[in-house]
Order: sequence, then structure tokens, then C-alpha cells
Amino acid sequence: MTSSFEPDRRRVLLGAAGAALGAALPLSGARAQELATTAEAQPDAAESDRIAAEFLGGVAPLAEGLAMELPATADNPAAVPLRVHVTEALTEDLWCEELIILAELNPLPLACRYRFSAATGAADVALRLRLIRSMEVRALARLSDGRVLEARAAVEAGVGGCGM
Amino acid sequence: MSRPPRLWISSATPAKGEIIRVRVQIQHVMESGFRLDWNGAPLERNLLTRFEARLNETLLMEWEPGASISQNPYVEFAFAARESGTLRMLWLDDRGMRLEAEREIILSPA
Amino acid sequence: MIKRRSFLIGAAAGAGVLGLNGGRLLAAPSVLSSSVQLMPREGSGPRIVICGGGWGGLTAARHLREEIPEADVILLERNPFFWSCPMSNKWLIDVVDTAFLTHDMLAPAQAHGYKLVHCEITEIERDKKQVRTSRGVVDYDYLILSGGIRNDYEAWFGNDQTAIEQTRRNFPSAYIPSSEHIALKNKLKNFKGGVIVMTLPPPPHRCPPSPYERACLMAWHIKTNNIPGKILILDPKPRIAPIGAGYKAAFDELYPDIITHVPNARVKSVDPFNKRISTEAGDFDFDDAVLMPPHQASDLVWRADLIGKDAEGKPTGWADMHPRLYHANSDEDVYIVGDSMGAISPQFGHYPKSGHVANYIAKIVARNIAQRVRGEEVVAELPDNLCYMLVNGDPLEAISVEFLYDVGPDGLVRQTQIDIDVRTPDLMDEDFVWIKGMFDDFLV
Ligand SMILES: Cc1cc2nc3c(=O)[nH]c(=O)nc-3n(C[C@H](O)[C@H](O)[C@H](O)COP(=O)(O)OP(=O)(O)OC[C@H]3O[C@@H](n4cnc5c(N)ncnc54)[C@H](O)[C@@H]3O)c2cc1C
Repeated sequence: MTSSFEPDRRRVLLGAAGAALGAALPLSGARAQELATTAEAQPDAAESDRIAAEFLGGVAPLAEGLAMELPATADNPAAVPLRVHVTEALTEDLWCEELIILAELNPLPLACRYRFSAATGAADVALRLRLIRSMEVRALARLSDGRVLEARAAVEAGVGGCGM
Repeated sequence: MSRPPRLWISSATPAKGEIIRVRVQIQHVMESGFRLDWNGAPLERNLLTRFEARLNETLLMEWEPGASISQNPYVEFAFAARESGTLRMLWLDDRGMRLEAEREIILSPA
Repeated sequence: MIKRRSFLIGAAAGAGVLGLNGGRLLAAPSVLSSSVQLMPREGSGPRIVICGGGWGGLTAARHLREEIPEADVILLERNPFFWSCPMSNKWLIDVVDTAFLTHDMLAPAQAHGYKLVHCEITEIERDKKQVRTSRGVVDYDYLILSGGIRNDYEAWFGNDQTAIEQTRRNFPSAYIPSSEHIALKNKLKNFKGGVIVMTLPPPPHRCPPSPYERACLMAWHIKTNNIPGKILILDPKPRIAPIGAGYKAAFDELYPDIITHVPNARVKSVDPFNKRISTEAGDFDFDDAVLMPPHQASDLVWRADLIGKDAEGKPTGWADMHPRLYHANSDEDVYIVGDSMGAISPQFGHYPKSGHVANYIAKIVARNIAQRVRGEEVVAELPDNLCYMLVNGDPLEAISVEFLYDVGPDGLVRQTQIDIDVRTPDLMDEDFVWIKGMFDDFLV
């Protein structure tokens, strides 16, 4: 039952970088990730504290009034769900002007900045962070009456694999 | 591979003053500038630089994301529906991309 | 030679009936023997036999005929007609009707000029380059295995066939095209209340996001019909994935009183007689259930002796195959397509076991075989994946997941996953566009 027909089986094109690939799969996934980034964690919270101080402008933050929902452990450090909201009712006379989120030990700790207006009527946001390691996440919200509210939470995250 | 923003709002016909929740997600690499290509050269940074939401012309929220924001950025926010009109959203990135989405909001009579 | 053999077998088969026929010798038609040659060869090109006429097999058959017009392409399939698992969850709540899922297979065979044989594939003899079926023997130059998955009930019950049968009959998994889907729909329609347990297979398994979609749509039925019912999802994973946030929002916001998701609930034992299940997250009694056992490569890969082995020498349950060229590591004339495929990369393991990937890989394999037949260089290509999952019945709102692949600096395939967690009607509209594109490709 031999076939009459004999194709050339030796020449194979594996695309640009694939030439080295045999049947075996030598490297671990973690290694592949490491090779692909130069992102480095901050050694401490100093840079985050500096940004926070700039935002505070000398005002002492209040530990009440800003709620933060963050999982204690991040199954997926590339997308850690975070919700932050001002708990008191906001009106046309009292609103949240600005809100910042700090991922204290990320290479660039200032994760993002929100601005709202008197028309918003709420300060309630959710987003997803990518975290380079376990750390504290900190949020600061400045209200139109000059108060600054603060919330913090710690999150446990595995090293690497955050896609940064 | 360009796909439209995915938008969900808790109500398009709210009562006056009702708090509306908005969720919106786009596809975007959020290239941090830290990653390397095959040859070990850094991939050029391409992050979202700005998102804003307006009801008609009134600014509800503006957002300046950085490298710590996940790929395919997910934005959720809330606002009080004080008037009928068009909820307009806008995204900009480092490479000059401009994306828009909108949704009509009609106050239901009390 | 062939004639004589089939005559002998025919005579033997007749002899078997002897007792029943009061001594009269009744010779069965020779085509009823499983040793006859199934088909004479046709065409000047290679003969390519495709085992399994589902998403992968039907796609491969069409594209092989287009890539290699002189090829003799034979598709072997057990089922009398095509049943689509994609969209079958939506069918449970009548978003699509039965005609949407069921399709004639003769029309595509005719339109594209391949031969379709309905039979059970019983043995794959790679040393002889032939396949044995319930309808005869067929030889090949190239073989494609696209048999999908098998339910590994043995992982729960060993060889206790009574327990397996009790489970399959009463708590069908409905993950393989069969009447189990209809049984599940009837079960849902007749459901009066109580706890439905749904076990998810451990990864890798067929269509990772779809069990959660099924839970949502069953919950939708329960909710809209005011049935006092609950669904308990027993998930071996630590969290919902993929599209975890989108599903969690749907569970919490749309079905808060109906769906409970239990993470880390790997099944330890199942008692289908007393309706009790024991998991690493506790023991549960149920009134009804959708019991999905672990999945493995289809029987075909086992019969071809192409299942991989892990570091300890134990079977991986999936094909041992080249991650870029999709042929078996030990036999480059045998390709594995679709859900039966083995691990691709240490970064992410398997390609998602989806119809989308089965279709994509089947087209790549058709091109790669054509390149070999023409003596050209074989170009390694990568698939992508896209799945839309419905979470709400009114409005019809879906979420989605997309996977993109490239090759990293170390030569390994890398995966980028894009979860769209915001549920919207436009994603459901896109799902209909997606499936129409698929059906247009491999059906008629
Ligand atoms: C509820 C559900 C929802 C899904 N939703 C989606 C979705 O939205 N999008 C998506 O992309 N995928 C989805 N899938 C996954 C999709 O169905 C599979 O990934 C796809 O069918 C795999 O294709 P395949 O060719 O490997 O296997 P199949 O399509 O299962 O085909 C295998 C064929 O081989 C035949 N066969 C096996 N053994 C033998 C034998 N010994 N003799 C003869 N014939 C044999 C079988 O009868 C079958 O027809 C879903 C699956 C389920 C169960």
C-alpha cells in the first residue's frame, strides 16, 4: 500500500524567529516573561509619597469618607479590579474635584488621575491595575470644600507576569 | 483588529437625579514602554493619555491613565442624570488615536 | 485478493445468522463487512483521510479539495448530520432554533467534491497507513484526526460502567454533539425547582468560557419562569476564567439569587445514584445536575497511539504533536486538528479548544499539506481565537474573549488574551456574524 507519491518533507519554514524550535519546549513561561520587559519595582514608597505630598499641598488627609474595594490577593496581577468611591452624598455645591490612585511600588506609582465637576453628582470609579508585585494601593480625593480623603489597601500579587 | 468601544449603562431612561452607572471598555495594548521586542529593543510607549465623558457639553469626568492601567482599559464611573442629552465619551492615545462613543439619555417623566 | 477476503467474511457473517434462519445459508452483501476496501482510490494526487466531520474535519475537507484539486479526500464521520455545539447554549433558551444548529453534510461534500462516509472509526493502523471503520478499511497518504474530545468518566468511576451509564443518562454533560443536548433542553424545560449542580472539567477542556454561559442562560430560564431553583457551579479553578469579571458581574447583577460559583471545587467523587458529589470545596447534594467529567482527546488519538506522556510517563490525555506544524511528533503524515490537540507552549498550555481554532488550524493544515504535496516549503502559521458568550436573555447581552498569538524571542508561541467584560447587545450581533462566516466556510 505504498503511495506513488513522495512529497519533499524536509524543508520547513517556521517564520522569522521559530527556526530554533524543535519538538521540545525548553523554557518556562516565567522566563519568557522576564526576557520581555525592563520594568522594575520601586524599592520603597518614597516616590509615591512624593506624589501624594504634591497632591495634598500641605492638607492633612482624612481616613474616613473614601471607600476602596481591592481583592486581598490578585489572582491575575495583570488586571486587578479596583473600585474607589466617595461615600458622602455629592451635590452641586459639594463635589469631588480630583482623585488620584497610587500603586506604590509600580515603576511609575501614579496609576491615574480623575477630575470631576459640579455636574457629576458622584465620585465612584472602577478600573483595573497591573501590579508588578505585592504592594499598597492608595487613593486620595480632594473635595471642593478643600478636604482631602484617603483610602489604602494592600494586595498580594505574584512576581512577574503583570504584562508591563 | 479595530473594534468599537463596548458600552453598558445602567439606564438610558433615568429619573431626574438618578445615579447612572457607566461601564466602557476598549481594546488597546497599553504598551508601557518597558517591554522589549524580539531583538531586545524597547517597544515604543503607547498608552491611553486621556478619557473624558460629557453629558452634552458638560464635563462629567476626565481620566489620565498611566502605565499601571491594564491592557484593554476598563472604565466604570457614575453620574447624576440631571438633564436629558447625549452622553459622549472620548479616548486619546500616545499615537494620536481618537475613539468616540455616545449614548442618548432621556429623563423619564417624574 | 480483496474480493476473496470479503467473500470469506461475508460467508462467515452469514454463518452467524444460520441458527436464526432455520439452517438456510444467508450470505450478507459484501459491503456489510468491515474488512472490505471502503473506496477505490481516485485522482492522481494523494489520498487524504479525515477522521471526524465536526468543525475541524469539515473545514479540512473543503480546503484540502481547494488547495489540492487532484487529491482524493475522504471524510469519515459517525453522526448522521452536523450538530453545532457553538450556539447550543443559546438554543437552550430559544435564541436560535434547532434548524440553526443542525445541518446537512451531503451538500458540502457535493459542493466541494470530497467523499463523506458515515461510519464508526474503530482502528487506526499507522504502520499500514490505514484506518478501519465499521464500513470497511481505507488507506491514506495523509491522515487528519479531528475527533474532538471524549468524556473521561473513568477519572471519576474507574471502570464502573453502571455508574458511568447512570451519570450519562441522568445528568448528561451535553458537550459532544449527540442527543444529550436535547436531553438537557428537555430537562431545563421540565425543571420545577431545587438545586442544579454543574461540574466544570479541569483545564484544559472544550470551550473554557461556555459552561458559565450555560449557567447564565439556564438561570435566565429559571428567573423568567419564576422557578424556585438554584445553580451551583462547582469550578476546579480558583476563579472564573476567562472573562471572569464579566461573568461575575452577570452572576451578581442578573442572577444573584440563582447562581452560586464555588471555586477550588475539584471533584473527588460522584454518587449519581444518591445525587451527591464530594469536592475539595465541600460535599453537595443535588436535585438535578449537568455533570461534566474531565475532557481528553477523542478516542481517535488513543487508537492512533499518539497520546503524549508527561514527565512521569503518564498519559497527558492529549495528542503528542508538533506545536507549530500540527503533525504528530512521531508521525509527520498524521495531523491533529481541533480540540484533540496537545500543548502548544509552556506559557499558556493549549490553544483554546474552540470551533474557531479548529476551523483555523484545519485551514493551516490544508495549506501545509498542499505545500508538501507540491514540494514547497512548509510555512508555519498561527491561529487566533474569538468567542462571544451570551449572559442575558433580554436584552441579549454578550461578553467576549479574544486570543492573539505571536512567537516570542525564545521561539515559543505567546498568547495575548483580551477579555471584554462589559456586556452589550453589539457583541451578540457580532456573534451571529461570526457563526455565519464559519458555517459559510465549512457548510453550504
Ligand atoms: C456548549 C458549547 C458551546 C460552545 N461554544 C463555542 C463558541 O461559541 N465558539 C467556539 O469557537 N467554540 C465553541 N464551542 C467549542 C466547539 O464546539 C469545539 O471546540 C469544536 O467543535 C471542536 O472541533 P473538533 O473538530 O475538534 O471537534 P467536533 O466538532 O466535536 O468534531 C469531532 C467529530 O468527530 C466525530 N468522531 C469522533 N470519534 C469518532 C469515531 N470513532 N468515528 C467516527 N466519528 C468520530 C464526532 O462525531 C464529531 O462529529 C462550544 C462547545 C460547547 C459544548
